[in-house]
Amino acid sequence: MPTIKHARHGLAASALLGLGLAFSAPSQALPISECIAPADPGGGWDFTCRSVGKLLLELDLVDSPVQVTNMPGGVGAVAFSNVASKRPADSDLVVATSTVGMTQIAQGQYPGGADTMRWLAMLGTDVGVILVDDESRFESLDQLLETMVEEPDSLAMAGSSGAGGWDHIRALMLAKAAGMPADQIGSVRWVQFDGGGPAVTQMMGGHVDVVSTDLGEIAGFIESGDVRVLAVLSEEPLPEPFADLPTAVSQGYDVTGYNWRGFYTGGEVSDEDYTAMVDTLQTLYESDEWKDVAQQNGLVPLWRGGEEFNDFVRQSIDEVETVSREIGVIQ
Amino acid sequence: MHEPGMDAGRIPGVIGDRIAGVVLAVLAAGAWWHSHSFATGFMQPVGPGAFPRLVSVPLGLLALYLILRPGFNQRWPHRAALLRQVGALLLLGGYAVFLEPWGFLPASLVTVIVLVRLFGAPWKPSLASGTILTVGLYALFEFALGMPLPNMPGLSW
Amino acid sequence: MDILTFLAQGFAVALEPQHLFLALIGCALGTLIGALPGLGPVNGVALMIPLTFNFGLTPTAALILLVSIYYGCMYGGRISSILLNIPGDEPAMMTTLDGYPMALKGRGGEALGLSGVASFIGATVATIGLTLFAPLLVGFAIRFGPAEYFALFVLAFATIGGVTSGSLTKSFIAACLGLLLGTVGIDAVSSVPRYTFGWFELYDGIDFIVALVGLFAISECLVFLEDTRHGSKPTMKLGSAIPGMRSAWQCSPTIARSSLIGFIAGVLPGAGAALGSFLSYTLEKRWLGRRGDFGRGDPRGVAAPEAGNNAAAGGALIPMLSLGIPGSGTTAVLLALLLSMNITPGPLLFAQQPEMVWGLVAALFIGNVMLLVLNIPLVGFFAKVLQAPGWFLMPMVVMVAFVGVYSLSNSAFDLYLMLAFGVLGYVLRKLEIPTVPVVLGLLLGGQMEYNMRRAMSISGGDWSILWNSGISIGIYAFAITLIVAGLVFGWMVKQRM
Repeated sequence: MPTIKHARHGLAASALLGLGLAFSAPSQALPISECIAPADPGGGWDFTCRSVGKLLLELDLVDSPVQVTNMPGGVGAVAFSNVASKRPADSDLVVATSTVGMTQIAQGQYPGGADTMRWLAMLGTDVGVILVDDESRFESLDQLLETMVEEPDSLAMAGSSGAGGWDHIRALMLAKAAGMPADQIGSVRWVQFDGGGPAVTQMMGGHVDVVSTDLGEIAGFIESGDVRVLAVLSEEPLPEPFADLPTAVSQGYDVTGYNWRGFYTGGEVSDEDYTAMVDTLQTLYESDEWKDVAQQNGLVPLWRGGEEFNDFVRQSIDEVETVSREIGVIQ
Repeated sequence: MHEPGMDAGRIPGVIGDRIAGVVLAVLAAGAWWHSHSFATGFMQPVGPGAFPRLVSVPLGLLALYLILRPGFNQRWPHRAALLRQVGALLLLGGYAVFLEPWGFLPASLVTVIVLVRLFGAPWKPSLASGTILTVGLYALFEFALGMPLPNMPGLSW
Repeated sequence: MDILTFLAQGFAVALEPQHLFLALIGCALGTLIGALPGLGPVNGVALMIPLTFNFGLTPTAALILLVSIYYGCMYGGRISSILLNIPGDEPAMMTTLDGYPMALKGRGGEALGLSGVASFIGATVATIGLTLFAPLLVGFAIRFGPAEYFALFVLAFATIGGVTSGSLTKSFIAACLGLLLGTVGIDAVSSVPRYTFGWFELYDGIDFIVALVGLFAISECLVFLEDTRHGSKPTMKLGSAIPGMRSAWQCSPTIARSSLIGFIAGVLPGAGAALGSFLSYTLEKRWLGRRGDFGRGDPRGVAAPEAGNNAAAGGALIPMLSLGIPGSGTTAVLLALLLSMNITPGPLLFAQQPEMVWGLVAALFIGNVMLLVLNIPLVGFFAKVLQAPGWFLMPMVVMVAFVGVYSLSNSAFDLYLMLAFGVLGYVLRKLEIPTVPVVLGLLLGGQMEYNMRRAMSISGGDWSILWNSGISIGIYAFAITLIVAGLVFGWMVKQRM
């Protein structure tokens, strides 16, 4: 059961046991007692917090349920500034984040850079895909990119991020790899929808031509054959049932575009606590339960933790910043 | 607006509507002006400022029409009522300020008791109903609905 | 015929005594949550999901319980709309327009009963539509592109004058104000912050629940404070729910029309239940014209949005189940609910897990019947609650509003914002500027704007895309017809006076 919303107390327990049961973990004794999801309930970050929080309890890595706090605002900026200003040293707090949050940092949309926080680990990743309708004139990535380079204004691309967001950047990186000159990039039309599902539906209705989004969100449409996958943006082919989908790399375009899910914590958390939190998350990652949860939600389990993850985040931010500058998202 | 007995409370809105019209016209003009500061952004034929401008035009025109042709208002509150309302707003504003630093129970207890007083109840029922409401709400949200409320500082129970 | 077999199986399961009991509990709990201002189906169901897992229920039982809670919440929202003029959530807002005046006339029980019956019929129509036409309607829904959605929102706002009985100018002012407030926050397309003045708390825009609770609950409290002498008396008589059944019969043409309109609005994934109840009300008001007494307690003004809203919620199941797209906040909750049961809605759901789909439909139907049955005793219970003196009732409403809003985002900022909306709502009331269009603008403005900009992105800046398809031309023609008819009608009334 992946997205079980786990709150601190259920009605059943409270109704039976009454007021005396109320407790929350003492703030310093345990590694993780609260997870901030910087979004409304129901989204990807909320899912990350709730599924990981639930597994931490089930695997006895924490004694009491992990409290999930929703703190929406500014694509994570509100939670980021809240932790930076009010709770930089809370060693029991983790905040869900992903490539989307990292892109925001790279484009200067957060009040602070990567150094403001300590980056704990990533637990899994979603993979970018480039799709067309099953009746589209484009049979291969080569065809699509050729048209894109030659007649950039003949295509309307869509995805779930805004112009210059991660879905858009991934698609433009492909266009660049296909030899599109930088001054032409502005003429490819980009249409933003509220998610991968709506974008694909609009494509099925013939309103847009190409969709760039995450695999996990739209896996059902691939399985049903309503869409044609031109490229998967991973280094290696994906595990079953998506093993047949061609990667961009295998078609000669060296572009990858993951959307990982992970956590950060406040920048003033001690090394000792930081290590303990990373260890806890690693134990969780290595469990079979996490593998199941990840797979059910279209994520590929993938571990990077501690200093390795810290370096990875910084490096990715640099890369996204460079790409954003090259294609003109930021000046 | 046409509930029985309400029509007696209607007054011509010459002053009220005109003030509202001016405020709204200024708001529309401000929104129009400010929308030009939104960077047109990356690769869009229609930028983030277009829709606010599209809305502020009819808003401004309707506001001007309201200044020219004011309608009716409800009777405005008298001084005693106004004082009670301002008092309630200050109290609730204070509640919002102190909710986190004090914790839910003490902040709510004080607020509810004063609020019940403001609504015209004598002290005794105020104290009683204030306590019942506070504890009841705390139990409902914290235990039954599982939504954590801020605790008193230093009290982790 | 397979469908009917699965549906029959679904019903057989749903009708087991243990499941019926769960449906009863769920409806009662949901009604309680929904009646609290600020708490609606969205947080109600989200809050209750852990409970079902604590009980260790089977997936079917959990589904039935949660669906009942969902329906209970929707119904609970009506109770505070009708009796206190405070909608618990956004679909309940239109019900205040005639429901509260009915309650003031001592016909609150009738309004509650009528609302229950109208909801039931709306939901039943939607269920039948879903059973018979789901694949067909998906094909229809995907023909709606951004330009067509934009036309739909233009239609909605063109008829906004029909929302209230007051001045047309003031209704449009309120709608524009709402649309403008809706642009506050980070622009989803360009990531540019708009009208946020450096406050991060505004970056996600103004939460419409905050605005709704402020505009209705807090301003109601300020109105009450004007005169505290009536504070010790019971506020009003409620009457019985029984006459509701009779007036439902009288309203049956309204209910039929509104169910159809709501269902169509619901099938379109971008439109949602709010638009369903909104269009049902305004179109019904246009349709009946002089024969109606809308805004002053016309039972049809309760029946129309209730049937429309529930039909829309049912219709919205079609894109949600078959495309995985939630059309509105409430269907988003159901989507989250299904995901938590390991059911992934999408194009394959109908083919791969038909027993789940029809089990859900059966559960929805049972929840509906249960609410209808619960209706009569519940009205008695709420009559008791309303006997509480105003000095207790109003502070309770305010406190629940505060805690409810605080629990949404854990930020004191939303509380200040809610108070500001309370003052705004109070001033608007005094000015006789209706507050309902403000919330509608806030709620629907974002979709209206983004669909316009999506259309423009697709056309590369060519405005003609907005009126380039048969569907959009049809919608605009309908809107123009309604406006012209409204003007002619208004002129005729003036001539008579």
